Amino acid sequence: MLPLSLLRTAQNHPMLVELKNGETYNGHLVNCDSWMNINLREVICTSRDGDKFWRMPECYIRGSTIKYLRIPDEVIDMVKEDVVAKGRGRPDNKPRGGQRGGRGGAFQRGGFNQRGGPRGGLSRGGPGGGGRARK
Amino acid sequence: MASGLDSYVNHTVSIITQDGRIFVGTLKGFDQTINLILDESHERVFSATSGVEQVVLGLHIIRGDNVALIGEIDDEADANLDLTSLRAEPLGAVIH
Repeated sequence: MLPLSLLRTAQNHPMLVELKNGETYNGHLVNCDSWMNINLREVICTSRDGDKFWRMPECYIRGSTIKYLRIPDEVIDMVKEDVVAKGRGRPDNKPRGGQRGGRGGAFQRGGFNQRGGPRGGLSRGGPGGGGRARK
Repeated sequence: MASGLDSYVNHTVSIITQDGRIFVGTLKGFDQTINLILDESHERVFSATSGVEQVVLGLHIIRGDNVALIGEIDDEADANLDLTSLRAEPLGAVIH
């Protein structure tokens, strides 16, 4: 299990975040990204010595400043449920995409002979076809 | 990509962090930056004057930046330790 999957699963749960400078932030996780940057709501910040407190409605913490996150024990069981649910959605283990995923030459894209040519229904120049017709 | 940590997953490990703290718990996962998931963890607070104090913490994500050492713990040997009679100076923080 990846730490960041666990963190994503912990969205909307309360958590304690300790920063490298020793400050702690208690709040509900609103959002997080792959750099561990996090958004908290209803936050109580505690100073390094634990003697000063600040309340704030929300805050954003840069992931690189985090020392650790303490999250509710039950969250780890919810990660497993997510994985099972994903497996049920796509029972066969075949790779997705097939041909569509390739680089796709002009033939695949239908790139040649599509624009402008005499057979092209959307060619520029109106009823006469190409510009040459006006000479 | 095999990391040396694969064999530690679902085993009891001891983590020493850059600030000199010691966490013990079950390693549930890790990633390429050594962010760790530590389940049922507790902190062991060493003291020169009294026994080791164990602080129960629960589920943790420890950021890789902050990890100094990861060691596997032999559960049986650990259970036989008498932590209350163990005296040791606490570790200091890593000096950069």
